[in-house]
Order: sequence, then structure tokens, then C-alpha cells
Amino acid sequence: MFNKLFKNIANGIEIHTIRTKLIISFLLIGLLPMLIFSFLSYNIYSGALNDRISAYSQEMVKRVERDLEDYILDIERYLNREQDFYINQFIKLTQADDFSNNRKYIFRIWEDFENLKQMKPGLEDIAITFQDGRRISSYGLYNIDIENIKNMLYTNDLENIYFTHPHKNYLQKEVITLLKTYYTDIAEEDVLISADIDVDVLANLTDFQFGEKSYFFIADKNGRIIFHPEEDKIGKRSFFYSNGFKNREVNYNDEEYLLTSTFSELTGWHIISMASAREVKAELNYLTEITIFLTVLILVIIILLAFYLSNSLSEPIRKLQEMSHKASENDLSVKIDVSGKDEIAQLGMSFNKMIRRINKLLEQNVREQKLLRKLEMESLDNQIKPHFIYNTLDLIIGLLENNKIEEASHMVEALGKFFRLSLSHGKEMVLIRNEIKHVKNYLFIQQYRHGKEYEYIVDIEDLEIMDKHIPKLILQPIVENAIYHGILPGEKKGLIIIKGYYKDKSIYFEVIDTGVGIKADKVREINDVLSGKIETDDQKKYFGLRNVDRRLKLMYGGASGLTVESEFEEKTIVTIRIDRRGGN
Amino acid sequence: MRKNNYLAIIFFILPIFLISAAVFSQELPRENAVQELFQNSQEDSEEKMTIAYVPRSLDNPIFLDAFQHSQEKAVELNVNLEWVSPFVYNEKRQIEIIESLIEREVDGMVLSVNNTENYIEVINKAAAGGIAVATFDADAPDSNRLFHIGIDNYKAGQAAAEGLLDYLEKNEIDYNNPEQKLKTMVMTGVKGAVNLDLRIDGFRDKIEDTNITIIDLIENQDSVNLSVELLEKYLQDNSEIDVIFFVGGWPFYVPAAALPNFQNWAESGGAAVGIDLFYDALLLQQRGLIKHLVGQDMAAMGSKGLESMYNYLKYGTVPEEFIETSLEIAEEENIEELLTKHQPWRVK
Repeated sequence: MFNKLFKNIANGIEIHTIRTKLIISFLLIGLLPMLIFSFLSYNIYSGALNDRISAYSQEMVKRVERDLEDYILDIERYLNREQDFYINQFIKLTQADDFSNNRKYIFRIWEDFENLKQMKPGLEDIAITFQDGRRISSYGLYNIDIENIKNMLYTNDLENIYFTHPHKNYLQKEVITLLKTYYTDIAEEDVLISADIDVDVLANLTDFQFGEKSYFFIADKNGRIIFHPEEDKIGKRSFFYSNGFKNREVNYNDEEYLLTSTFSELTGWHIISMASAREVKAELNYLTEITIFLTVLILVIIILLAFYLSNSLSEPIRKLQEMSHKASENDLSVKIDVSGKDEIAQLGMSFNKMIRRINKLLEQNVREQKLLRKLEMESLDNQIKPHFIYNTLDLIIGLLENNKIEEASHMVEALGKFFRLSLSHGKEMVLIRNEIKHVKNYLFIQQYRHGKEYEYIVDIEDLEIMDKHIPKLILQPIVENAIYHGILPGEKKGLIIIKGYYKDKSIYFEVIDTGVGIKADKVREINDVLSGKIETDDQKKYFGLRNVDRRLKLMYGGASGLTVESEFEEKTIVTIRIDRRGGN
Repeated sequence: MRKNNYLAIIFFILPIFLISAAVFSQELPRENAVQELFQNSQEDSEEKMTIAYVPRSLDNPIFLDAFQHSQEKAVELNVNLEWVSPFVYNEKRQIEIIESLIEREVDGMVLSVNNTENYIEVINKAAAGGIAVATFDADAPDSNRLFHIGIDNYKAGQAAAEGLLDYLEKNEIDYNNPEQKLKTMVMTGVKGAVNLDLRIDGFRDKIEDTNITIIDLIENQDSVNLSVELLEKYLQDNSEIDVIFFVGGWPFYVPAAALPNFQNWAESGGAAVGIDLFYDALLLQQRGLIKHLVGQDMAAMGSKGLESMYNYLKYGTVPEEFIETSLEIAEEENIEELLTKHQPWRVK
């Protein structure tokens, strides 16, 4: 079924034409290398681009990691206070409830903490917290739920520094708190010193404009989200976490993302960039579009060129085919307009030459056919000579008068067959068998007319030739010559032998008579006339021989025809050669 | 041979053991230091009443007396006292702090605020939430606050004007000659602060029949730094001014050396009077740069304010809507005594 369909399609688009084959060839030659080149270039470039995107994403998370660690280290330096005089005094006086002397230290600490806040954007507060939850910070003195802080603590690589998860501070701001113990030499109680970092700092540190949908988030070592642009995600475990955040492509909210992460040993946080694949691959998409556009453009150009070139090359061939077809449909008036000197132009010239030659041959053939008809008619006319008919009819009357009814009957039958075979229903070609019968009838009639002055023998050696066709009335004129010019002029009883055989792919007949023979110079003259070496103005001279010879040459070519041999006063041999390979 | 094997094993294992012990001995305190501190913390915790004071800012030392005495009173009453405010005055931040106190459901709060819409709204929100709200120093009378404790600001303004007139009289400067006006500049915190506006009203009324004429009113946004900057700039441009009335003591919290234009102006005969009395301001008065100071009893605002709130919360004792604290006048006669009473607030 598919084969049939394919054939139908192939036939529909005339795949068998040279034009189609040329188009296909040009397309294959033009398109294949181009497509392979485009494919390879695209793959190589897109591979390089992907590497670059990956490196860029990695560089970005590393940069965030560096910035984040620098920021945390700065904060850590603020917390790394050792035996600060004012803080020590504050702790001691607070424990002693000496408010009068303490207030200047408190004021100093407020100033100090406020200055640090001003110096470090994102530092929301710095505080000292007592074990009972009393706290001094840049916002004053207040109490906190210390148990709540305790539950949020976790540690990392920073010495003695604890982190909390994001939580709301005193001012209900979302912060991450860094804590460490402050040891004092002059008081019994150690306190905590802490810094609240505004979560918005993380937003600023990760605020890279690398796409509308791309973003960063930060998670702790267990995958719990510390910062995320979508606030409701903070505090929850990231579902991208699986013993870390491996770099990979992920699908989130029906969007493909390139997840790239790094782990900060200092903070114990994973920094993860979620780069929208669509956005980061915009360049790749642009490249794809350009590649497709150029490929299509080149494809169109190649197709147009293929059509143009194919038409240019095949049009003369198509015209040649069209002219040939017309010529094959008997329109021999066709002629190709030849321009150029290429092979197709030469083919066109040859075609025109061939058509001219065919026209000439046709004209020649017509002429030859006309001549053939004329010669046939002449041969026929020569056969139906009135005196032959009268003499034969007189002979039959004589036989009837002598009551030789049976003989007369034979004679009438022979005469009838003679004329019937002569006419042969108007056919040009007759079976050799019938031609032999015709000659036998003629010899029978003539032998009776001439009183059996001669005998005749018909000897066909190769009987297979009996069913071959030859032009009619070939043998009878030669036999007639043998009777009238060979046997009858002599005084002795003669013999006429008719031989037929096949030799060297030609049919041969020999008409031999033992009559008076012909002188050698005459024999030479006859053969020269027959071979065309000499011409004679007398149309009746050697009429029978020339008629048969020309008819055979017209039909079978120059190798066919008659030759005459003779031994004066002994015999004459006329050989008829029919070379069936030649002629029309 | 076997003995050698044992020695080899001990030789390898012992250092590993020692190194591990050393590492863990370093790690343990690090891991446990904060946690231990937390464990100790829970022993002292008990349920206490929480009352929060919210001064206008932390950077204004005028509130330190109130801070000190409220702390002392809190210990006496076994109250959790919170003293919270933005370091520099900022209305939005101060309201955020009040909001956080509401969020944390403190029992009571004592605020120094303005009688403006935003403050009234947050005070009413707290009151509606069952938190007792009072004001000190600066009042918001249009709100649903329970009571206000502070000086009679109108009287304070009048007292400052009286001091000015005394000075002018003593120095034979005619303040009644309508042909020779005494040009006066007034520096206040923000317009709309009821306490400050009342002080100005008292001052203005007292000088009504004199040739003392207020030509400029400057707002320093309750900022010490801005007040210094504005004062110096003003005197640079208007050295011919005769009188300055400081509605509060903002510019005097900085050392006198930071006020060169003011010093020149005062030494050239300019008369400055003001309200708020503290150590640095008294030093300026001692040097003659300020002619008259009227002080507030901030200590009472701290202790009495807290006690009134405590009594209300603990016993339901509704205080008077306005609890007046006394004025303190600094004069030549008592300046030394006052310098002993009011301690410097800076750490030397």
C-alpha cells in the first residue's frame, strides 16, 4: 500500500524527469552540507554557551557567598568584643541595680550600638542580653523571651558564633540573629552579645538582575530556607534539598530552572541560584532562531537556485524530448532552435540534422516505392503480352478442336493459375512456393506451345526457403529469357534448370538453360548494365533482366540482384541473389 | 616480638586519643557556652508586670533622670520596666515601637508623644487592646490616654519669660520702648507638640506688653545635632538678634566649643533663656552664656509616672488626668547647688 502511495506521489511529482532528478541532486548537494554544518555549528556553540551559563551561574553564587561571608565576618568583628570597659561597667552596675551611675554607660552603649548600625547597612540591632532576658540594644532596655531564641539556635564554622533562623525581632522585623557569649572579668554573670541582621540584607546581597523569573535563595545545612524572595517559603524545608543542592535542571511552577548552588562553610548555608532556563537560554534561543532563519533562507535560496539551474539545464532537453515526441508522432517538420555550444546544443543540432536526413530518406523511399510500383507494373505488363494470351488461347482452341479436352482443360487450368499468381491479389510480396508454382505453370504452358522442344527441372535444395517471401514475378522474366533467347534460337532440344538454395544468409536462384549461350562481351555488357557501370538509353534493352535486378536492389540493397554467366553455344546461367538482410 | 607490637599500637593510638581529647575539649565549651547560659537563665524567671516607657528618643539626655528614677521605682515595685525608643527622634519608628509593645501585650505604657493624628491613633489602638497608656513630658490630650504627667508647660514658658525680663531689667535694657524692639528667635522641636506649644504660648503671653518681638520660629525636629546646626547657621546670618528662647535644651548637650557663633553672640550681649535644666546647660549658665533656665522635674516623671501606672494596673487606682510636676529655676544663687545635684551624663 505504501509502495503504491509512494509511486503515486512519485508519479505526481514526475520524479522520473531529468528536471526533478536535477532538482533533487542540487538540493542534496546544496542542503546536506549546509544542514550538517548548521547542526554541528549549533551544537558546538550551544555547548560552549551552556558551559558559559553554568560558569556564570557558579560565579554568581560564589560571589554571593563571598559577599555574604564578608558581611557576616564584619558583623562577627562587632561581636568579638573582649573586656569592653563600658559593657563591663554596664553589666556590673546593672547587677548592682546602680541606676544612677549606670545611666551614662547605658547612654554610651546606645550611642555605640547606634553608630555601628549607621556604619553597617542591614544591621538592624546590636544587643546585650542577660540570662533573665533583660536586654540593652540600640532601641533601649527591654525584655525578650530567651527560651524562644534558644530554640532557634544552631552553630556553624564560626568560632563561638550561633545563628538563629529568621524570626521577628523587637520591632517585628524579619531578622537573623548572630549570638555569642560575652565573658566579663568584673561581674559574675556572663551575657550574650548579639546582632540582628535584616533579612532584606540577604535580598540585597542576592539582588542580581539576571532575569525576571530568576532568583536566589539561601537555606541552612538541612535545607531549611533562610531567605527566599517569596516570604512564605522562609522557614520551610526546600523540596530541592536532597543531602545538599546538586547543580541540575529542575522544574518549578511549570518553569525550567538551572539550579546552581554553593555551600558556605563559614555560615553553614547553601546559596542557591535559580536561573530561569528560558531567560538564561534566551541567547541560545536567539542563536536557534538565527540558525533556523539562516537555514530556511539558505534552503529557499538553494531551492530557487536548484529550480533555476534545473530548468536551465533541462529545458533544452525537455524541448528536445518534445520535438522527438512530435517527430515520433510523424511530425517531421519539427526543428529545435539551437543556442549555445554545449553538449545539449550539439544534441539539438544533431537532432535537426537527423530530422533532415529522415525527411530525405522518406522522400527517397517514396521515390523508390513509386519506382518499384512502376517496375512491378512494367513487369506485369510485360507478362500479359497479348500475343502470349492469343497464342495460348489458340493453342487451347486447337486442343479443343482436336478433342483433346483433357489437355485443353490442363492448359486452361495452368493459364488461370498463371494469371492468378501473377496478380497475387495485388500483393507485392509472395511466397517462394507460389513463385515456383507460377514459373512451373508458365513453363507448362510454354512447353506445350513450343512442342516440347525443351525439358525443365525445378530443383529447390533448401526447402525451408519455400516459405520465405520475395517480390513477385522475379523468376518468370528470367525463365522467359531462357526460353526465347536461349533454347528456341537453337536447333537442339534444350533443358531449363531452376535451382533454389540458401547460402550465406542469402537466397539464391539459378536459371540455367542449355541454349545457344551468349558471347562473352555481351555477357560483360549485360553485367555492366545490371551493375550500373554503364547505362543504356534504350529502355527495352535487357528489359526483363534490368527490371528484376532493379526491383531486387531497391528492396534488398546493392548486394542483391542478377549476374549472368554464359558459355557461348553451351549454356547460360542467370543467378538471382536475394540478400534479405539488406533493403527496407 | 609481641612486646614490640604492643608498644607500636600504643605509640599510634595514644597520639590519636590525645589529639581527639584536645579537639573535643576545645569543642565542648564552644558548643555549650551559649546553651549553658540559657540553662541558667530560666531559674530566675517569674511573672512580673511589664510597663514600658517610650521617650521621644534615646539620644536626648533630658530623659536620663526619668530613666534612672523609673528604674529605681521599678525595682521597688517589682515591675519589669522597658525603656524603648528610636535613638534619634523619628515619629514613624517611635510608632513602630509602640506597635510592637501592643503586639507583645505589655501591661502599660508611658509615652512622650505629640498630639497628632498618628500618635492618637496608636494610643487609642493600645487602649482599645486593654493596655493602659499614659503620657509624660509631652502629651496627646486628644487621645484615650489614661493620664499625663509633666510640668505645666504654659507656666514653664512664663517662667522663662519672667527670667528674661528680670535679666533685662537688671541690665537696664529697656523692654518697654516700642520704638526699640528686641528681636527674638524661638527654637522649638516640632510644631504640634502640645508641651512645646504651651511653653511658647506662656512665653509669648508674658512678653505681650513689651517690645520683645518674636520674629523667627525654628523647628529642630527634636534633634540635638540639627538644633546645633540650625542655631549656628541662624546666628551667622542674624547676629543682630537680641533674644533667643530655647523651648527645650537640645543644643546644650554638646560642648560649648561646638557653639562658637552662639558663644560670640552671647558674649556680645545676646540674651538666651531656655527650658530644660541639666549639667551641660548649667555650665553654660554659669559662664553667662545662658541668662535663665527653667527645669522640669524629670525624675518625678519617671518615678511618679511609673508608680501611678502601677497603682492603676495593680489596684485599679485611677490617677488624676494631669499629674503636675514642679519646675526648677536656675539662678545665680543656686547654680552651684544645682551643678552638684545634676550629674554630667557623659562618660569622662
